[in-house]
Amino acid sequence: MPLLSVLVLTLALGAPLILASMGGYTSERSGVINIGLEGMMMIAACMTAVVGIPLGPVAGLAAALVSATLLSSLHWLVTQKYSVDHVISGMGINAVAAGAASFVFGKFADPKHEGGVPHLSVWIYYVLAIVAPLALWLYTQRARGGLRMVAVGADPEKSRLMGLSPGRIRFVALFATGLFTGLAGALLVSDAAIYTNNITAGRGYIALAALVVGGWRPLPTLMVCLGLGFLGSLQLRFQGTDVLAVIPSQAWASLPYLVTIIALAGFLGKNRTPAGLGKP
Amino acid sequence: MWRLLALLVGGVAILAAAMLISSVSPVEAVKTLILGSLGSRGAIAGTLRETTPLLIAGVAVYLALRAGLFNIGVEGQLLVGAAAATAVALKTSGSAGFMLAAAAGVGAGALWALPAGWIRAYRSGHEVITTIMLNNVAVYFTGWLLANPMKDPQQQSPTTVSIDASTRLPNLYSHPPLIINVAIVVGVTAATLLAIWLKRTIAGFELEAVGANPRAAQFAGIDPKRTMLLAMTSSGAIAGLAGAVQVLAYEGRFYAGFSPGYGFDSLGVALLAGNNALGVLPASLLFGILAKGGTALQIEGVPKGITTVILGFLILLAAAIRYRKVNAVA
Repeated sequence: MPLLSVLVLTLALGAPLILASMGGYTSERSGVINIGLEGMMMIAACMTAVVGIPLGPVAGLAAALVSATLLSSLHWLVTQKYSVDHVISGMGINAVAAGAASFVFGKFADPKHEGGVPHLSVWIYYVLAIVAPLALWLYTQRARGGLRMVAVGADPEKSRLMGLSPGRIRFVALFATGLFTGLAGALLVSDAAIYTNNITAGRGYIALAALVVGGWRPLPTLMVCLGLGFLGSLQLRFQGTDVLAVIPSQAWASLPYLVTIIALAGFLGKNRTPAGLGKP
Repeated sequence: MWRLLALLVGGVAILAAAMLISSVSPVEAVKTLILGSLGSRGAIAGTLRETTPLLIAGVAVYLALRAGLFNIGVEGQLLVGAAAATAVALKTSGSAGFMLAAAAGVGAGALWALPAGWIRAYRSGHEVITTIMLNNVAVYFTGWLLANPMKDPQQQSPTTVSIDASTRLPNLYSHPPLIINVAIVVGVTAATLLAIWLKRTIAGFELEAVGANPRAAQFAGIDPKRTMLLAMTSSGAIAGLAGAVQVLAYEGRFYAGFSPGYGFDSLGVALLAGNNALGVLPASLLFGILAKGGTALQIEGVPKGITTVILGFLILLAAAIRYRKVNAVA
């Protein structure tokens, strides 16, 4: 059943992107620029393997969630309490995560270990990936907490005058970012049942791209991620056949990045960047 | 002040813990790091070699930063610059050859930065996201070049043929193990020229004015959009030069995995440099020492990732000290 396998593959390739981009969504909607998604995913993936192998799948997932949440709390601390520029903090987070992941992996990698990383069923993650955007959409449309989060991201100064506390609301938002990127990183390892160096391979940046192309809205972002998953699954399916031989694989791989650039240039509808993005 | 101290103590504690886990005493590690980067003539040569691309690329990031732009795209601009310089150097020879190759690198880097500058200035799309995207496109694009038109057919791995010895940048001082290439002079000159240009020319002043406050600059009769576009493309041009120099002075060819993250490290260099372009000199030397010393640590059994963690904390700390956003209305 080629159709079914393409659909499953679409979901498999799309789900980590969806989870990571939802992490980006809560962060950026509350006004915190987050280019650290990549680093948070990477540390989570690493911890899933390093803790999961000796202690089992649940401990692995817990370690992923805790480590990614710690990193995103560090991002909150540095941007909100030390007033560091969000982009600089994100770069720092990515460096710390990449360095720590390669350090831990270099120190604790077990070349004799066979049988892969123990993990929970990937379908748990897939279901979460589909439900999360819907839940976030409802949350930001209907619930007080969600409306406040969007308000703080749109205009922190006015929200402050209305009695909201951007610092506190952003902490909750970044906590959620940690959980989502933690899930995304754990999913990568669960799907492959193995951890390799640089397993994220830039997916954190693609998730950010999907968020931008989706106009910082959960449902369109979900669609963009699934579209990227579909493209990827087609590429895998037709690999080595004549169908795609005319287009080099590098051109396929560049497509999401090019579309993002075009979207940022405002050629795909209006620029929907949250107005308070990056403001104190 | 107390907060900064807390951040510093926290960072040092985490690093010390990491070293203890890997059963290396922190004192021993620092010793290895310093001896491995400055302890011998060979080590010094290696450190200078590591410093060069970070110095030139650091100048590129610094220039954009003064105009209020984060050029995270230095990585991609450096890659296309290196690819273009290699392509030209393979077709030419002699000193005319390396001039042309360097020019090709500069041009390619500038072109790669142009979309990001234009989108930021005229379409108000954030330069950080466009440059991240352009970096990824650059990796795939140069990857394609290396797999197809530029590939050395004799080799299994994706690499170009080595360029002719006459097209290479000469050594300034060559008594092995201490070899110093003229490339470091290119870097020092670039930093010096930028410092003078920013402080002593009208265009440099305009650029800093836009970086400080674009709206105020506009009221003063400066066109902030044009200035941003120029700053971004010039930054890309210098990044392209960094890639070209790396090929012409040290590597002699272009290959997959050419940059071990120069673009990112140079952002750290520019952030540490402070308020004067000449600050790029000590900052890049510090990064060069960490890069070279990190290799020495690796041999001692401390995974190299530890130096990346140090860099990450250095960036956060430097930013916390210098780039605090005063609650200004932007």
